[in-house]
Amino acid sequence: MRSIWAVATNTIRQALRMKVALIFTILLLVLLPVMALSMPGDGTIKGRLQAFVSYGLSLTSLLLCLLTIVVSIYTLTNDIKQKQIFTVLTKPVRRFQLLLGKLLGVILLDVVLLALFSAIIYTITIYTPKLLNAGEEELISLNNEFFTARASLTPPKIDVTQEVLETYNKLKETNQLLPGSSKEDDIYVLTLRKELEKRAVPVGRELVWQFQDVKPLDPNQSLFIRFKYDVSVSPPDLNIYGRWVVGDDRQIKYGTEMKTPIYTFDRKDFIRTFHEIEVPADAVAEDNYLAVGFFNPPLNDTVVIFPTDGGLEMLYKADSFTANFLRAALLILLRLIFLACLGILAASFLSFPVAVLFCLMIFLTGTISSFVLESFDIMSKGLTSFYSYTIRPVVQLLPQFDKFNPTKFLVPARLLSWLFLAKVAGLMVCVKATVLLLLALLIFTYREMAKVII
Amino acid sequence: MEYAVETFSLTKIFPDWWGREKVYAVDDLNLQVQYNEVFGLLGPNGSGKTTTLKLLLNLLYPTNGKALVLGGDSTDPQISARIGFMPEESYLYRYLNARETLDFYGRIFGLPAKVRKMRTEALLDMVGLKAVANRPVGTFSKGMARRIGLAQALINDPDLLILDEPTTGLDPIGTRQIKDLILELAKRGKTVLLCSHLLADVEDVCDRIAILYGGKIQSEGKVKELLQQTHKTQITTGPISDTAIEKIKQIVRNEQDDCVITSPMDKLETFFIKTVASAREQAQPTSGVVSDGTYISDFLTAEPIEKARRAEILDKLVSPPVSPEPSSEPPTTEHPTPVETHEPKPDEKLLEKLTRKPEPPKPKPVVKPQPVESEVTQKQQDKDSILDQLTDRATPQNQQTDKTNKFSTGGDTDA
Repeated sequence: MRSIWAVATNTIRQALRMKVALIFTILLLVLLPVMALSMPGDGTIKGRLQAFVSYGLSLTSLLLCLLTIVVSIYTLTNDIKQKQIFTVLTKPVRRFQLLLGKLLGVILLDVVLLALFSAIIYTITIYTPKLLNAGEEELISLNNEFFTARASLTPPKIDVTQEVLETYNKLKETNQLLPGSSKEDDIYVLTLRKELEKRAVPVGRELVWQFQDVKPLDPNQSLFIRFKYDVSVSPPDLNIYGRWVVGDDRQIKYGTEMKTPIYTFDRKDFIRTFHEIEVPADAVAEDNYLAVGFFNPPLNDTVVIFPTDGGLEMLYKADSFTANFLRAALLILLRLIFLACLGILAASFLSFPVAVLFCLMIFLTGTISSFVLESFDIMSKGLTSFYSYTIRPVVQLLPQFDKFNPTKFLVPARLLSWLFLAKVAGLMVCVKATVLLLLALLIFTYREMAKVII
Repeated sequence: MEYAVETFSLTKIFPDWWGREKVYAVDDLNLQVQYNEVFGLLGPNGSGKTTTLKLLLNLLYPTNGKALVLGGDSTDPQISARIGFMPEESYLYRYLNARETLDFYGRIFGLPAKVRKMRTEALLDMVGLKAVANRPVGTFSKGMARRIGLAQALINDPDLLILDEPTTGLDPIGTRQIKDLILELAKRGKTVLLCSHLLADVEDVCDRIAILYGGKIQSEGKVKELLQQTHKTQITTGPISDTAIEKIKQIVRNEQDDCVITSPMDKLETFFIKTVASAREQAQPTSGVVSDGTYISDFLTAEPIEKARRAEILDKLVSPPVSPEPSSEPPTTEHPTPVETHEPKPDEKLLEKLTRKPEPPKPKPVVKPQPVESEVTQKQQDKDSILDQLTDRATPQNQQTDKTNKFSTGGDTDA
């Protein structure tokens, strides 16, 4: 253990004196305040903060990722190339201890730098409203919509396969299917139509969403129902009237005693933009149940549709901004740990430039992983079984940085839960990074150090 | 009998790019190095010396056969904690300074902070780099880096010291110092395995040698037995009169043999060290420039320093490594004591004193005379005490009798 620690501190020292860490640090120290001053966002203070947090964290994350790749590779390949490893490995250090020491050093360096830069971004963010003399109203809206961590619940997707099949069979029996189209295509079209039906509210009808797991932090606070209207025919003034009912609808259905209040809102909103209805959190039933109903009054004269992406979701404050920010930083750290392991693996059998190229390639692929995965899925439609047993597992091993992007949570003030963090840690660090590290240990143990590898 | 180093038909084949066997770097090597002996591996370039050492240390894996070091595998931390290795060049972390370098290696051995600090300082003192201990080793000249390389090999007070070309890149003084160190360590019961192609160095220090060629041992044996000319006899005396010489010649003639009488030649090395020592004596009152270029050029090749500071640094650099030399070297290694036959120079007396003083070899380095009369004994004592510190023996005043723990300390402290 002592020798691991000795190697780790030496690695940190190397990174610091190599001046790479210094350059990255100075770059960030200069860029972050400049960004804070120069980014107006959409003009409001909230927009400004969103832009700063988003770009600041992304830049920090990017630079630290590059730093991690470079340092983790350099520290090992340099030792091998300059042969310092001769004097280290002939001392009582096992090879795995050397690797773990290097890894620990890189991770510690990351922790320190990440803590420093996160603290800077956090401080600037917190003090910006004060510096800009934000008004009372703006502060309230900031607290509701930015300096918070809101959990988001979307109504569960209704499974329509059964219904679609029934409809398809009925159509087939009655010979109403279009001639020449395949079954798959028909089902696809039918599914889309059915799903749309479930989200559409004709005039004079109502739609009820039921949420099962609403757990607001404090019953005295508010819930927010965030929605967007789509319409089949645009009304002349582009406004939609609507009556919203929020509460435990079972009390009405079964006529039990009213334990929780039911709130009703009559509103008139622009179509195709997001709106939020603030509802007191005491509407939530004891068993965390809450129903939201929308009634399409005859005034509208059009079908109202709630689109799939954010058509309706329930938001409530579940944690503080600070805690959310902390978890966002930890999310970045997980990414760095993965990259450190990747760098060590690359360095265990490649020379510096090749290893850096290799890691950068993986890193870049990781940042567009959804795109890559989808493209692979589409391209290999024809060779399904071959693909799903060979290429797919390999592609799945790629890191998915874009999926776990912390700014995706901080900008819309969404809750980044510990559970989510634990899941990412489990997948990215406990599974993928560990595999990489074990592979690196294996290669490194059987490699002859005195031999030059190109 | 157990050996400090033993190999069993050790073979290393370097394949070419296609995996075909290409070079037999080490070929069926059976090597036995006994405990407490200085063993030299000799051979021309490319004869497999360094490869053998790397195989012993598991930096390369043998194609065939195996090697035992201190009775086991050298990757075992228990065993590697007792090995000191100096590679053929000093591979150091350029961004660390000399002190940090030694401290780092000390920490790898898990030495406690106190021991580490003490040994680091003692070693820096011994290799003469105390004055530049805070400079990054990346700025060191080759010779200085070698000295650090030597110091790091000694930080754990090893039982087995493996030295790869220990004297390359060192000036004669440094060479002399390493040779003395090897002898001193051998005297203290350590085992030294070194490889070199500088025959003069090996001849001076090794008990046994093996000559490698093509990865095979061509000749092996004790240096004395291999080199002694049994049909000749050498008599060495102080300066004697011509009549005495005639008498001796007469006696030899009576033995039915002829003899040649000359003054013995100094070894160039001895002469060099003497010259440097006397130059240093003179240089101090005048200026450092005198000493420039002769014996410390090695230190200076790579460093641009202003003249004024330079002289100052030179003296600092020179003093530690040089001082013990004139006192201790000649008696320990030169079997025929050099006899001065030249015209007496101004400092001849001093030199004579320097070379003669410790002539009666000390029975045990631990027992030291009180530092009373001369600088010589003082220096000698300094040197001993550094070695003592390395081996964790306390200063004679305190624990003169505590000799028993000297070998165990390196292993004990490593957790």
